[in-house]
Amino acid sequence: MAMLVENTLSKLLRRNCQRYGSKKVAMRVKDRGIWQRYTWEQCYQKVQHLSLGLISLGLEAGDKVAILGETKPESYWAEFAAQAARGTAIGIFADCTPPEVEYFVTHSECKFVFAHDQEQVDKLLSISSRLPLVKKVIYWDAKGLWFYTDPLLMSFDQVLDLGRKYEALHPGHFEQTIEDSRSDDIAVFLYTSGTTGLPKAAMISHQSIITWGNEMKQLHPIDDSDEFMSFLSLAWIGEQSFGISNMLLSGMTTNFPEKPETVQENIREIGPSILFYSPKLWENINRTIQAKMIDAHPLKRFFYHIFLPVNYKIADIRLANEKPNFVWKALHLVGYTMVVRPLLDKLGLLGKKVVYTGGIAISPDIMHFFYALGLNIVNVYGISETGLIATHWMNDFKSETCGPPSPQVQLRISKEGEILVRSQGLFSGYYKNAEATQQSMKGGWYHTGDFGNINEVGHLVVMDRMADVKELARGNKFSPQYSETRLRFSPYIKDVLVVGGEDKTYVSAIVNIDIENVGRWAEIRHIAYTTIADLSQKQEVTQLIRKDIERLNKSLPDWARIKKFVNLHKDFDADEAELTRTRKLRRSFVEERYSDIIVALYSNDTEIMVESPIVYRDGRRGVMKRSIQIAPVD
Amino acid sequence: MHEPSQIIMQIDNLYLAFGGVEALSGVSLEVRKGEILGVIGPNGAGKTSFLNCVNGFYRPYKGKIYFEGSHITDLPPYKIASLGISRTFQHIELYTGLNTLDNLMAARHSLMKSGALAGMLYFGKSHQEEIRHRQAVEDIINLLELEPIRKKVVGALPYGQRKKVDLARALAMKPKLLLLDEPMAGMNVEEKEDMARYVIDVHELQRIPIVLVEHDMGVVMDIADRVIVLDFGKKIAEGTPAEIKTNPEVIKAYLGSALAQA
Repeated sequence: MAMLVENTLSKLLRRNCQRYGSKKVAMRVKDRGIWQRYTWEQCYQKVQHLSLGLISLGLEAGDKVAILGETKPESYWAEFAAQAARGTAIGIFADCTPPEVEYFVTHSECKFVFAHDQEQVDKLLSISSRLPLVKKVIYWDAKGLWFYTDPLLMSFDQVLDLGRKYEALHPGHFEQTIEDSRSDDIAVFLYTSGTTGLPKAAMISHQSIITWGNEMKQLHPIDDSDEFMSFLSLAWIGEQSFGISNMLLSGMTTNFPEKPETVQENIREIGPSILFYSPKLWENINRTIQAKMIDAHPLKRFFYHIFLPVNYKIADIRLANEKPNFVWKALHLVGYTMVVRPLLDKLGLLGKKVVYTGGIAISPDIMHFFYALGLNIVNVYGISETGLIATHWMNDFKSETCGPPSPQVQLRISKEGEILVRSQGLFSGYYKNAEATQQSMKGGWYHTGDFGNINEVGHLVVMDRMADVKELARGNKFSPQYSETRLRFSPYIKDVLVVGGEDKTYVSAIVNIDIENVGRWAEIRHIAYTTIADLSQKQEVTQLIRKDIERLNKSLPDWARIKKFVNLHKDFDADEAELTRTRKLRRSFVEERYSDIIVALYSNDTEIMVESPIVYRDGRRGVMKRSIQIAPVD
Repeated sequence: MHEPSQIIMQIDNLYLAFGGVEALSGVSLEVRKGEILGVIGPNGAGKTSFLNCVNGFYRPYKGKIYFEGSHITDLPPYKIASLGISRTFQHIELYTGLNTLDNLMAARHSLMKSGALAGMLYFGKSHQEEIRHRQAVEDIINLLELEPIRKKVVGALPYGQRKKVDLARALAMKPKLLLLDEPMAGMNVEEKEDMARYVIDVHELQRIPIVLVEHDMGVVMDIADRVIVLDFGKKIAEGTPAEIKTNPEVIKAYLGSALAQA
């Protein structure tokens, strides 16, 4: 790979400003119903003034700046501004609770916090007495904050003004700090999701983050004509590599939706050529398609069921690297015009160059489904500590795998089956935690903690977390996640926890039904229900879920089959710490929380009483009691 | 007594009757600039009748209403609206076949100056006027967070959302005085909290005096500067929320006399 002259993100920003100036749009954001545009030059100026504003407020090289809120141009500028001043940016998920925010801000010793709006400012003010290091909280959406008088607060525009004044007094200072920035400066902290213990901050240098983007750019054809829709959090590696790094390297245009609720609508308006959805989102779209088809006009349903198999067939032919014959081609054309094109259009998925999934394991069925719809769906396996590890290259698609290892990654599978990585994109250690760094870097290899193998064509297959691969009482190994991702292909199953262990003789499951789709299914069948608690315990619903489990069981060895399950009376909820903010299941926490149910799954009981504590919004507490059915599977 | 310059609306001795039923008997009050005035009372106390008198739907048979010093009791509703008194309705009154945006644009009709022909040709001044009004409407959409339903047909929206659109419509008329008729009725706790937040935001940003007629005591006590209590068409109390909470007359009206004595 040719070495770039621009070895930091700030230098890349400067290069793009010089290259495109006011001629090309760098960012678009929907505001007041209109797509407002910012050219590269405008972005550069914003970053310049913001950065100098921070410097005049006391930001020094090596200082940390947190960004709390939805991802907007302002959050990008805040990150660039921190980095241009040789500081470090830390994204925090917008839905974090005040204690979580407090942990991130104090652990990283942030001097400045960018807060989106009143909601985020309120969080920070409620904990401000415990944040002695924070000099200013800077907000960019002033709504509702007009009469806040806390001296800690400052508006985005005020900081920009400070920056302008500073620039008049110190011309050339900004350019000099960019010139001084080094590739081993820490660009961002990425906090681990904390599936085990407190989140750790992985320190990511400019060099690593540029390496990630560069590799993607080489494997997939991304250039400055591309449009990207950004709606994931800066706290996540996906946004840092696909958004920040890719944008600066390729010069593509990044679009920001109006509101989190309008993402789908905005995607349809912009028609981005590149899209990154988490597996949960793909699962969601798949469930929506399937459920809407159940509702659709019989004629539409008829054509959908006629032509979907045609598409699968074509996909299979393409996967075998063969050419479809004339008949299949003709059928495919008809099917595409009648069914697939309108469907993709409705979903805003028309005209995509490449679409990505990554973060957690995705069901091969889902990958296959979207591939059959003609989307170049690409799986990306990467983690905060290493960046990109493996991804499908264009036209090298295997639904079961994560693709071959990325060219400059060295990969090894340990005796225990753990995936070990060496790469240029490696992190620079955990912040203030040398012990954890050493532990994960034994022998110079990064230990991913993921269980996997490399298959016969050289593709990496990631099965599960090492810690989560389980052994049954008779010594048979099975992967709960393997079953879980496959069960989530069902439109009726939103989430599921598969349980088993050395003290257990068989596998069982706790299912979180998808209230919307099961609800619709029930309505059509005139099954009356009130809430998820009620619906989930209906005999008919149990039978519905049982069918899905039986289907999965057929593909599993005898010992790994699910023998009993319950439909949980509520949703798994991130606010109750059952899911991480990236919506991964917190396995051990959930197992602990529902230990009563798990005990019952291994007894002869046919139902169990559960009590769930409820905290009302006004602080009152209550307990809800109800009985849950334990359902056997043949 | 407050300075006349501090008062935006003055109501003197209002009487309204439906046949033999006296809906309002001798209600007098004033709305001061920049305040949120809560009007509460049990069912049938005359709260909505009172609002209907103010904006001209009902004609009181006795009494006078002054808005910014001028007498408005006998004006028709559309004239009262164009003076800058705008309201929401307990039973939402929107164009159910139009989307949110069109409803709000339609609400600005009374502020538009171009004629029908110029509007149709959409040229020159009328074009600029449309853009100006659209900007004002977008500001309201932003304030009330209506972006996700901007292009959704109002008739298909859930109740809580329609209530929000109704408030937005009232705001779109650029009112000098805003009358809210039970904006939280039929909402759950979370929706109520949101709505209260929006009312406060509107009040803080635009400094419009608001008359808030509400069934839910809690909400009114939280956000009103001053509260007036109606019972059987009579004003039985007036004061700050704290004063109203301890007023024996009010407790009696709400809970019955036995409890009030206990």
